[in-house]
Amino acid sequence: MLYLLIIFFPAAMAAGLFLLRAQIMPSISGGMLAVIVQIALVLQLPVDAPVRLLGLTLTIDPLGRLVMLTILGVALFSYVVTFFIAHGENFVPVSLLILGITNATVLLMQEPFVASLLMVSSGLLAILAIVDLPIGSTVLVERSPLITALHYLVLVLLSGFAMYMAYVLLTIYWPTEQNGQGSPAHLIMALLIVGFGMRLAIFPFQSWLIEVTEYAAPMVTVLIITALNSTGLLFLIATFQFFPVIVSENAHGMQMLMYLGAVTMILAALFGLATPHLRRTPSYLIVANSGLMLFGVASASSTGLAGAIFELFNQMIAVLIIFVSIALLERPDGRPVVTIRRDLLWRWPLAGSGFIGGLLLLLGMPPFSSYTSKLLIYDAAAHASPIFVVLLGIGSLLTLAAIARLLYERLLGAAEELPTEEMPILLATQEIERQSDRRLLSEPVGLTVVLFILLGVCGVIGLYPQILLTMIDDVIRGLTFVRTAS
Amino acid sequence: MAEFFNTQWPLIGIALSAGLILLAQQWRSTLIGLFFNYLFVAAFLAQPQFIKPDLTLLGVAISTTVLVKLIAGLSAVLILAVTALTFSRDYDADALDEFSLAELRRAARRAQRKQLVAPLRFADFVVPMWALILAAIASFILPRLYPIGSEEVDFAWYWLTLTGIFTIVTANDLLKLGLGLLVCVSSIDLLYTAIASTVQVFPLAMLGLTTIVLSLSVSYLSGLMYGRLKTLELNELYKR
Repeated sequence: MLYLLIIFFPAAMAAGLFLLRAQIMPSISGGMLAVIVQIALVLQLPVDAPVRLLGLTLTIDPLGRLVMLTILGVALFSYVVTFFIAHGENFVPVSLLILGITNATVLLMQEPFVASLLMVSSGLLAILAIVDLPIGSTVLVERSPLITALHYLVLVLLSGFAMYMAYVLLTIYWPTEQNGQGSPAHLIMALLIVGFGMRLAIFPFQSWLIEVTEYAAPMVTVLIITALNSTGLLFLIATFQFFPVIVSENAHGMQMLMYLGAVTMILAALFGLATPHLRRTPSYLIVANSGLMLFGVASASSTGLAGAIFELFNQMIAVLIIFVSIALLERPDGRPVVTIRRDLLWRWPLAGSGFIGGLLLLLGMPPFSSYTSKLLIYDAAAHASPIFVVLLGIGSLLTLAAIARLLYERLLGAAEELPTEEMPILLATQEIERQSDRRLLSEPVGLTVVLFILLGVCGVIGLYPQILLTMIDDVIRGLTFVRTAS
Repeated sequence: MAEFFNTQWPLIGIALSAGLILLAQQWRSTLIGLFFNYLFVAAFLAQPQFIKPDLTLLGVAISTTVLVKLIAGLSAVLILAVTALTFSRDYDADALDEFSLAELRRAARRAQRKQLVAPLRFADFVVPMWALILAAIASFILPRLYPIGSEEVDFAWYWLTLTGIFTIVTANDLLKLGLGLLVCVSSIDLLYTAIASTVQVFPLAMLGLTTIVLSLSVSYLSGLMYGRLKTLELNELYKR
């Protein structure tokens, strides 16, 4: 019953809130209430106690539960943000539906066919959020969000296709050179690389993430990266766990995956360095971080995997902080839309500081918790080969350079002076010729305080990483493919 | 030869209908192709070597699984047909500002002009035709290089996958791109049902649901795009 409630309650609430979507307060409050109830339900779930339902096995391990709770926490905070920042008309119902499907995916990790199709369905729903217009909008939907949605549609489907095909091949798997035929292990690995590569925005499939961050609303981006991509990484780990033969028969494939992760990190950081853009650069840095996490998982070592899982949580919080800050930094400040703003930190000191904090968290700057996770991944790289340490080191340096350039170009420029007094209206001046008021709205202090609390929590976890690492280590000890490879 | 046609007609039907989806340019033809494709895939899977019938409907013995697939496929065709017939998600003119209204009028004029000056040309079929030939060659070679199921099953799913992917690549409008995606989903559905030792109900139900959700997504995006640009042509979408 509890499992069914976790899956279907958000869907039922989404249907109700769809009717109320034009009323901002009831819609967001209803969404928050639904998420709080889901958090309570997830906390009630018995850990590692599988249940059979309609021929399917539903279960949750401590890691899955923590991922679910983090995703729900991020969703709750996103709803709070939508009180202050314009959002799409259907954001709340669509996000609740996505949360319901994400919950189902985490609960059904043992059923790879169903889980892969659920991931496709959640991706298809995200398309509705990408092209969503704000309530009462007087403009048409732009071409760019339509193109983004179209690209995302194709990639989600092809990613699901590749994953499903890999699982079909796994059902008829035969060992190497049986019946005179080579094992399909390499083909399965290739399909998994393509499927999960598209899902996690790994090079060369990263373009959709850049488009989504640039053209979708910030909270939609947060939802896609935290709920959908994080579930994707969890699903990849579950796939290796349930089919350890993929790892044991693909030593070269796993090494290739490690190289792919390292190359993704370097190239994405390089692109981020080349394009100092408020939205594009952070999105490239998220791609770089995904490459690093993929490297950790592909190393199939206990330290690499612990680092990747730890980094997953850090990335979810970093993405939330960065995109909430971006939404606050992009608020109108009286200057024409086409003006390139270079003094954002002086204009919006709280949001600017939150943005810098989020980027440093993503980078792995001590004392933030991501420092520990990155250190673990570096340790795994050192055990695998010194070449990997060099590659990851180059990636980290480029990430640092990209952040430094972005801050220099967009946040730390000289502050423009604001007009101190209103200009007198001259004779024959028409209304259209008057400059718009350059009044600064006040920053939502409550929201930024929560951002700093989140950064503080990451700092505390960074100082005392055992809070999370003990649980992650317990989970890793039960993973069979780690034992196989190490 | 006659015996081949008598036994393999569902396979021939799958090949012809998927080929029609890849080649045809008009939505009426491609949707008819998709409709027949679902029918032939159902007929192919209804053969006793894949799924045993467990239901009698109007005197015809049929499997419930095949029936569910047929219903999901036909629902997808229906959703897309209704979209193609009604197309536009009309904007409320009172709610739009003057710039948006002007842009809508401009898009409508451009679409009307394009319809007048751009009749169907033979050149439009060259790339899809070569893609079809390539798909045919690959569908005959790949089952020999990478056999997964029986020869018929391998030909059917390779053919559907390749025509689906080539339809996506060569599609010039959004609806056709959606059809390519649906053909790809149909190919994994066929492969799973044909080779899985025990067909589980839930993955099949999820595949049916994915087919319907996909067609709804394509339909929604088509509505948005037509409402905005008065055309479904992808090159109009990419114009700056």
